[in-house]
Amino acid sequence: MTTEMKSQPVYWKSLEELRQDSRRTVSDRDEFAEPLPWKRASPVMPAADGHSRRDFLTLMGFTLGAAGCSRATTQHALPFVTAPEDLTPGVPNWYASTCGGCSTSCSVLVKVRDGRPIKIEGNAEAPLFGGGTCATGQATVLSLYDGARLKGPLWRGAPAAWQEIDERIESHLRATMARRGRVALLSGTITSPTTRDLIARWSQHYDRFQHVVHDPVSYAGIRRAHQTCFNRAVIPHYRFDRAAMIVGVEADFLGTWLSPVEFTAQYARRRRPAASMAHHVQFESTMTLTGANADVRHALAPSEIGRLVLSLLDRVEQRDRSRVDPPYSIPASALDAIANRLRSHRGESLVVCGVQDEAVQTIVAGLNDVLGNVGRTFGLSPSSLQKQGDEGEVAALIAAMRRGEIDALILYGVNPAYDHPDSDAFLEGLARVPLSVSFADRVDETAAHVHAVCPDHHYLEAWGDAEPVTGVFSLMQPAINPLFDTRAAPGSLLKWLGEPSNWRNELRSYWQRNLFPLQSAERDFDAFWDSRVQAGFLRVPVPPQPSPAFVGDLDAAVNRIREDAHAASRGADEYELHLYETVALRDGRNANNPWLQELPDPISRLTWGHGLAIAPAAADRLGVRDGEIVTLIADAHRVDVPIWRQPGQSANTVSIAFGYGRTHAGPVGNGVGVNAVPLLRQKSGRRSRVVRLEKTGRSTTLAATQTHHSTEGRPVVREATLKSFLGGVGEHGAAAESLPSLWAEHQPGSHTWGLAIDLNACTGCSACVVACQAENNVPVVGKEEVGRSREMHWIRIDRYYQGAEAAPDVLFQPVMCQHCANAPCETVCPVLATVHSADGINEQVYNRCIGTRYCENNCPYKVRRFNWFRYANNPRFDFNMNSALGTMVLNPDVVVRSRGVMEKCSLCVQRIQAGKTAAALSGKAIVDGQIQTACQQACPAKAIVFGDAQDPRSAFARLRQSPRHYHLLDELGTRPGVGYLTKIRNREA
Amino acid sequence: MSRTRLVATFSDADAVCDAVRRLRARGVRVDDVYSPYPVHGLDRAMGLRRSRLPLVTFLGGAFGAVGALAMQFYMAVFDWPLNVGGKPPNSTLAFVPITFELTVLSAGLLTAGAFLLRSRLMPGAQAATFAGRATEDAFVLVLRCGRDSTCDEGEATRLLFESGVRRIEEIRA
Amino acid sequence: MLDTQWESVARVGGDHSRPARDTWVEGSPALNEISDDIARPLSARPSAGWYGCLAASTTALAVGVGCVTYQIATGIGTWGLNKTVGWAFDITNFVFWIGIGHAGTLISAILLLLRQRWRMSINRSAEAMTIFAVMCAALFPLIHMGRPWMAFWVVPYPNWRGPLWVNFRSPLLWDVFAINTYLTISLVFWYLGMIPDFATLRDRAAAGIKKRIYSLLSLGWDGSQRTWSRYETTCVLLAGLATPLVISVHSIVSMDFATSILPGWHATIFPPYFVAGAVYSGFGMVLLLLIITRRVMGLERYITVQHLDRMAKVTLLTGSLVAFSYSSEFLSAWYGGHADERFVFVNRATGPYAWAFWTMVLCNVCVPQLLWLRRIRSSPAALLPISILINVGMWFERFVIIVTSLHRSYLPSSWVMYYPTSIEIGTLIGSFGLFFTCFLLFIRLLPMIATWEIKGLVGAHGAESPQESHV
Repeated sequence: MTTEMKSQPVYWKSLEELRQDSRRTVSDRDEFAEPLPWKRASPVMPAADGHSRRDFLTLMGFTLGAAGCSRATTQHALPFVTAPEDLTPGVPNWYASTCGGCSTSCSVLVKVRDGRPIKIEGNAEAPLFGGGTCATGQATVLSLYDGARLKGPLWRGAPAAWQEIDERIESHLRATMARRGRVALLSGTITSPTTRDLIARWSQHYDRFQHVVHDPVSYAGIRRAHQTCFNRAVIPHYRFDRAAMIVGVEADFLGTWLSPVEFTAQYARRRRPAASMAHHVQFESTMTLTGANADVRHALAPSEIGRLVLSLLDRVEQRDRSRVDPPYSIPASALDAIANRLRSHRGESLVVCGVQDEAVQTIVAGLNDVLGNVGRTFGLSPSSLQKQGDEGEVAALIAAMRRGEIDALILYGVNPAYDHPDSDAFLEGLARVPLSVSFADRVDETAAHVHAVCPDHHYLEAWGDAEPVTGVFSLMQPAINPLFDTRAAPGSLLKWLGEPSNWRNELRSYWQRNLFPLQSAERDFDAFWDSRVQAGFLRVPVPPQPSPAFVGDLDAAVNRIREDAHAASRGADEYELHLYETVALRDGRNANNPWLQELPDPISRLTWGHGLAIAPAAADRLGVRDGEIVTLIADAHRVDVPIWRQPGQSANTVSIAFGYGRTHAGPVGNGVGVNAVPLLRQKSGRRSRVVRLEKTGRSTTLAATQTHHSTEGRPVVREATLKSFLGGVGEHGAAAESLPSLWAEHQPGSHTWGLAIDLNACTGCSACVVACQAENNVPVVGKEEVGRSREMHWIRIDRYYQGAEAAPDVLFQPVMCQHCANAPCETVCPVLATVHSADGINEQVYNRCIGTRYCENNCPYKVRRFNWFRYANNPRFDFNMNSALGTMVLNPDVVVRSRGVMEKCSLCVQRIQAGKTAAALSGKAIVDGQIQTACQQACPAKAIVFGDAQDPRSAFARLRQSPRHYHLLDELGTRPGVGYLTKIRNREA
Repeated sequence: MSRTRLVATFSDADAVCDAVRRLRARGVRVDDVYSPYPVHGLDRAMGLRRSRLPLVTFLGGAFGAVGALAMQFYMAVFDWPLNVGGKPPNSTLAFVPITFELTVLSAGLLTAGAFLLRSRLMPGAQAATFAGRATEDAFVLVLRCGRDSTCDEGEATRLLFESGVRRIEEIRA
Repeated sequence: MLDTQWESVARVGGDHSRPARDTWVEGSPALNEISDDIARPLSARPSAGWYGCLAASTTALAVGVGCVTYQIATGIGTWGLNKTVGWAFDITNFVFWIGIGHAGTLISAILLLLRQRWRMSINRSAEAMTIFAVMCAALFPLIHMGRPWMAFWVVPYPNWRGPLWVNFRSPLLWDVFAINTYLTISLVFWYLGMIPDFATLRDRAAAGIKKRIYSLLSLGWDGSQRTWSRYETTCVLLAGLATPLVISVHSIVSMDFATSILPGWHATIFPPYFVAGAVYSGFGMVLLLLIITRRVMGLERYITVQHLDRMAKVTLLTGSLVAFSYSSEFLSAWYGGHADERFVFVNRATGPYAWAFWTMVLCNVCVPQLLWLRRIRSSPAALLPISILINVGMWFERFVIIVTSLHRSYLPSSWVMYYPTSIEIGTLIGSFGLFFTCFLLFIRLLPMIATWEIKGLVGAHGAESPQESHV
């Protein structure tokens, strides 16, 4: 009561009087003898505000209220004997770190609750990535609790002690060194400067040491080309935010290419509907996230890309250098238009290309040079260090291995037996290596064949650092003690080097030696170190260099491309093969992550597998339906894959995704889909891979979360052209006709929460879906149940096609509970299990729900999800919720729902309450942006904005005033709390 | 002192109606008539008053209606108003169906109950001993004779035979 | 000696009863013969036919019990429902059975008020049918819940959760009250109707357990004229209550859909449309049951072709009302001009569930047209298949309304298909098992024809006399 006294003094002379008073408030239907936490701080809410039951339900509806449902998650809790002083039970700690999901090395914050990392969020302060994350990054926290991880080191497949293994390895290395044998380290891209430094010391220590970098999806072509063109073997640091004209060629830079989170943030900044809105043209062979967002998209076969870039160069240079005809599938007029736009945006245009062919990349570099983009949108310094692989060196290493020249091989963060095209050759070579060591965290396809497996930490258990872009450093710190008997891989390298120091000290001293001097903010290193560990990043000024002159030989490149163009021949019954990464699984290293397996692909909407994308017309020619299995014959290699008819697919190209067909990923990932990598194996000399398809007559079910792809002409996703929007032509936002209400309005509480979703910013990347799943303990239900349309995601991203099958427009629309003020679901629930809170939230009270599903039927947005079975602790659903280890990822603030109850988006009510309480206890009002929903926080494009409609200054309230703002199915009069902003296309009509 | 009852058995509804009319014309009070099915017109002939059950039905219905409305108002408006679909706590129209159902329920149950009580029908109750085959195919007329009654036994018997009685028994009690 | 005399007398009584316009009882039997005929099934050893039917229906019942047990143990997921289609077989069956029930009340209450004498020999079994149908119906809202063991939460009772009441705006809650009222009133009406017959049975039975049971059930009924007169008043009052009740019940059931926001559900025509459909399907079921029963139990004499003919006429009438409702639905969808609404009806007739829609049209619109022919109306052999088709059609009507409206509603991204599972089909079979098992036991254990009413019908010479008016 003390704080209450601060606010408005309540004097009492006797206990009786006090008691009576409290009893009176009870009779005034303020059920709580003690005021709820936020009630104390009057500045926020006057204590007179007498709806405490509603607020109580708001607070507890999704958590304590549903405790009755939470039988499933009982765990053995032990009190701290001596509590760590920096840990308050129930209050999360946040640690800055660096995402280990892929080599992009985004800066993240790790939410640690009672000692358990339970959520990954983008680090908004850090440079480059803008505070968002990708779906993979969001899911990495679940991989920490992956039961398939090794519990300790293995020697020849059998558990062994670290000491024993170290002795064996060290003795072997000593012997190798003694007879000057060759030691090789085959790693993935290593962005950690300290680790690179450590490896450098290995090469000093062993004079015949060799470090080879293998990226499953190589970017080596770019680096080779830039070596010849600019004498810099680097990948540029692309700046889409500086580009008014973006041309993407077979580069899914919003979804999977190089640094998607960073690029999405840049892209979104430049795509705001204003005069400065960038124009985006995409050329690609299958429909990708990036193509789906482009203003103009052209489908073309991989073999045409050479001719495409040449004809672009010709038109930009306005001279017929290449003397090739433009690709048959693209009208010359379109190319002229694009070239003109490029020329009219010299220095603020950007051409990116994902094809790893040196000649093509040379032309692209030439284009950017001619357009004066080098050093502006096409930065060579700073440059990206996120991909360093070189398949040439890998091939050489494999050859050496097969010749038996390698005496010791260390595998770090690679799985060539799965993701190298020539995996057979690799395994053959591996068999000839006297000592092979892998740092794999599980017995994967490669680790199954090595002598020693020395499991690395999960990145949330480890110290580390990263330098994704030169001059930008990011730190990684452990958020939890290692769950198993694992050891940081660099630590092992250090140990085998015979160094006494440990990995953390190594890291610290590297930063002291190399980075501390580069900054001037901190004088004392310890202070510097602490501040950096706390912030998670360090940016050091990169000395500005004049952008290098272009010294590449364009004509040579032209000739090579023309040769290839002639070489590229395709029979009538043949198709060109194109392989790509999906947003969810990427190169497949996270294949055992159920969240990613169940994440619907933004384009195909498929979960738990992939299909062979083929143009609908071609499918009709072949007479195949979705799910029908065909045999794909590429040279010697045959593989059976189900058909998936993909609108916008290049006519004679079939595309298939990497990342599937794992055999040693773990129970979740094994045997999902087929491994496409071996298809990359090919006879030399032919650039475009040509395959044939044979019908098998068999077919399988593909689990898609969306089976109807047209809006049926309904205005669910509104769009307009930039011109008409700027000119104020036509209706973009809501036809805001306010019909008279039949009954009196309810008095709103002190807030009216809601979301505004900018359909123009949303790229469909699906990070929000996984973020929501992690935040709200959304269960994974598996392929069979998704196939029955029973996925549980609280937020889904509807994807609609529009226009011609061959070249459709794509529309994305994130849909979660719309929190209608006049909610149809509430009216029909017989037991008041879903009601409206005073601050505008449509609440679902799990422990009151009896599961009539009437609300589901009456919800026009179909956002309600029903627990058809018990999804937790049920062997039938053996995913993360069926093991003590997996359930460690659950968010204690959100109950695990029991069987037979309805659930849906709660607007992250637990976050709202945390924010309210924090504000109240600090005695201040809630500031806009202080509370963020999980989907909003994860969004790299900042497409989702949460806020209080009653706060006119809030970003949310302002967006509701936007001329683009409208409500989904407005005509039904549900008055949703969630609104959408019309999508704007920067093109004529 | 002796009071006798005449139990006259007929085989035909018309005959018993006729008998009742004749007897009442002579001012003989007919105790009751037991029949296998409701003989139309007989109750009028016997001069039975119209039942007051409809009143019970009305009261029962009124009670149900008021009770149901009161319950719903109390729960939804006074005791715990909630924002359900933006509708006002007092969504009177929505209360109508349940009010109607409870009206019918209470009216029906009370009517049936009142009928059973008034007719002394209840588990374990005994049927009139002299009803005999009245539940099968006989029509039994019972009238009381005695000093107090206006009925002269001989005359009553004569009237009964005139209207075609099949058998007459005398019960002394 | 005496008995023979009695008989002759009764005959005389019977003979000079002038023949009614329609003979509702063939060869006007003596009163005690009537009781003999009707009481016979209760004492006689049941026929092989009866045993056969019982075996079949109990098997079906067992299937249902198995399916429901499995479903409750495992989860509603054992049904084919999904994120878009939240109701399908469950509520279809519910509405179907409720509809069946309505014919019983209509016959016993409304026809009583209209003084339709032909109802007398069928109302008892029709009422029984009502009660069993409502039992089957009530089963489905119960088991369709995600947590059936919490079903009692639909009752507004003060409880330790604090003042946690129910939502009086929810049509589902209206259902709860409507169905319970309907079941209660029907039971009361049914039982009251049987009291005089229990008395008859009591007096026929030799001393023993049977006699004790009957005397308990007959509540000491002795056929006193005073009681009779109150009795008839009560019956009329209850009939007067049951008539609006029966209309309200199916109107409320229809409001589950009509008050929703879903195109294809949200229609003001639903209440009358559903009531007509209910009576239609109900009469179909009565026909089916009686055509079989009169044969199996040898009661052709009391349930005559005349009865069948009348019921067929009612069926034809209500069938036409249903057909009219179909067309008016399409008309308003087209005339209303709401795009989504239009789509739902186009999708109904041409979409993936068109086969169900056209089955419905065939059974509910085309088939009943045959009933214009007197030859068909008066031929049990022809009426039997028709009555079956009518029930098939009415089941599909509910399926079409529920599933085709749900599976493709506002947002095309959520359009899905629904396919029933074996569990759902087994549950439907089980409900039929329950229904027929109950009915078969009924015709064995209780007088399936109102004896006293038939006696009144046969014995009352003054049938047409004005005295009847104040029944």
